[in-house]
Amino acid sequence: MLKTAPIVQEAQDLILSNLSPGPVQKRLALYVVLGILAVFLLITLGPLGEVQTKPVSAFVPAYFMAMFVCDTITAILLFAQFSVVRSRAILIIASGYLYTGLVLVPWILTFPGVFGPQGLLGGTQSTSWLYFFQHAGLPLFVIGYALSKEMDSENRARHGAPRGAIATCVGLTAALVTAVAIFCIGGHALLPRVVLDSLHLGPLWPYAAAPVALLSFAALIVLWARRRSMLDLWLIVVMCLYTIEIPLSYYPNPVRFSVGWYTVRVIGFMSSCLVLIVLLYEIEALYARLLRAIHAERRERVARLMTGDAVAASIAHEVKQPLTAMTTTASAGFRFLDRLSPNLDRAKEAFEQIVADGHRAAAVVGSMRAMFRNDIRNRSMLDVNELIREALMLESTDLMRHKILVQAAPNDRLPAVQGDRIQLQQVLINLITNAIDAMASTDEPRVLCVSSDAYEGDGVIVSVADTGVGVSSQDSERIFSPLFTTKSDGMGMGLSICRAIIDAHQGRLWVSPNSPQGAIFQFTLRANGPEAAGA
Amino acid sequence: MHDCPPGLNIALVDDDQRVLESLKNLLESADHAVRPFASAAALLASGCLPQIDCLISDIGMPGMDGFELLRAVQTVRPELPIILITGHLDLLDQVPPVGMSQYRLFKKPFDGEELLAAVGKIDGGPGT
Repeated sequence: MLKTAPIVQEAQDLILSNLSPGPVQKRLALYVVLGILAVFLLITLGPLGEVQTKPVSAFVPAYFMAMFVCDTITAILLFAQFSVVRSRAILIIASGYLYTGLVLVPWILTFPGVFGPQGLLGGTQSTSWLYFFQHAGLPLFVIGYALSKEMDSENRARHGAPRGAIATCVGLTAALVTAVAIFCIGGHALLPRVVLDSLHLGPLWPYAAAPVALLSFAALIVLWARRRSMLDLWLIVVMCLYTIEIPLSYYPNPVRFSVGWYTVRVIGFMSSCLVLIVLLYEIEALYARLLRAIHAERRERVARLMTGDAVAASIAHEVKQPLTAMTTTASAGFRFLDRLSPNLDRAKEAFEQIVADGHRAAAVVGSMRAMFRNDIRNRSMLDVNELIREALMLESTDLMRHKILVQAAPNDRLPAVQGDRIQLQQVLINLITNAIDAMASTDEPRVLCVSSDAYEGDGVIVSVADTGVGVSSQDSERIFSPLFTTKSDGMGMGLSICRAIIDAHQGRLWVSPNSPQGAIFQFTLRANGPEAAGA
Repeated sequence: MHDCPPGLNIALVDDDQRVLESLKNLLESADHAVRPFASAAALLASGCLPQIDCLISDIGMPGMDGFELLRAVQTVRPELPIILITGHLDLLDQVPPVGMSQYRLFKKPFDGEELLAAVGKIDGGPGT
């Protein structure tokens, strides 16, 4: 748990609801609010209030559709974010947007002149009351969001399926909307008469609207005091728009389809879009960052493998020299013997040289082992399962590209082993890469199973099993020798280096056939480290 | 078996003493006369270039490498058959156009018989 904390912290910085807004964003938010205020003043006090407008019957359904789509998409994006961060605050604000979107459904059904002269459902009062409930709802969710943000730091680590929490919230929100709809539609006769007829708002309207506007203002204040993230900033702007929107519905003309009314709808649409636009913009920016991070990681990995290759190439060259000398001298010796009058002296000389070269080749391999044994300083206590996780993560792109199903079967109760992290990582990556190569050409279900388990008391055994082409029984020992390769582009050094590393760790590396096909590479490590074994 | 001696004069260049020795053994087992050199410079300094029928050289060597030696030899004996040997596979990409039949290239570790066969195809030069 402790070990993963920094990673979680790092990831938090990349999450939209945690990103802090830059100065440009802050300025932009200010301009939006000032612009809307200017429009508000122009309409209530200035010349725009005099402009005559006509009812456009298609406007309301178009407005409904746009708002509904924006709000639900925002809600979906926020729910998706919740499933990543598991923040209760995000869950609340996502529900808020879902609520705002869903309330629009009864609203459009009751709107006079859309599905019938008096609306499909309810009475003349229903539409306005649904509007009030909608505009009172989101600020309440925002307040809930702002207040629960602080508790998140304790709650974030909670485990459990996010799907269940999301389903519960969607269900509760739908139930709330249904209750509001039933109340406003079924009980429309009991509601205070805030509307005179299908067009005109009554003198009671401001008395019902004022608390709603105040609620938005309260949400603004609560959030302002706790503002931190980009999402906070834009929710504050939305609450500003909500606060401005309500008086504009009544002043200067308390009539539907007036300039003020149309402006309110435009502002409403803007407030619905704002968070969505910010979310989309940030998702795009984060996506770019993610791609850059992946590229950087891949470059780093390639660089690391390159150095591995370079080491392998130099070792290969060192081994090739004595090998060349041996085969060449052997040919010479054979020819000296194969004459009509064999030249025994030269043949004997040749065999002596072959023996000397054999010792030289052995010395090269020995120095290779020593190279991996040298750096005992780099040894540390390691969690094998963490090594496996890291290796699988490093190879995830290739695994995905070859459509390989990865099964990790770690035994969580393993002792820590002492070893060189980079070297053991290299062994795992080498084995996984080999497994990928072995499966790349097979059609059968491609499954890579990496597991860890206890071994002979205090040891650890790691298995890398694939369903690839497998290793024939006569090759099962040869594949570990230098220069042996089945790959057209391989040096044949990978497995021999792996074995050298595992040998240096006082472990063993071997291969056995997988059932029904493929190969299982297994290696063992000692928990108490190689020194204790008297290396 | 191969007792009719083709008797080529072959210059051999390799910085690795063991490989040089083994090649000398191999060529002598086929009754060639071998002049071993530990470096390209030693060969050029020896002044034996006009007498040889074939040159066998490693590519990767300190100082003058096999390619440089090849170019230097070409100016004196453009028709001389040359066999290059390399342990580095990536050096193969740098091999100059092998349009001319007098060049052959062998990768380490190579097959001794194949090398002898390649040498056997060379006609006796001015030395024979």
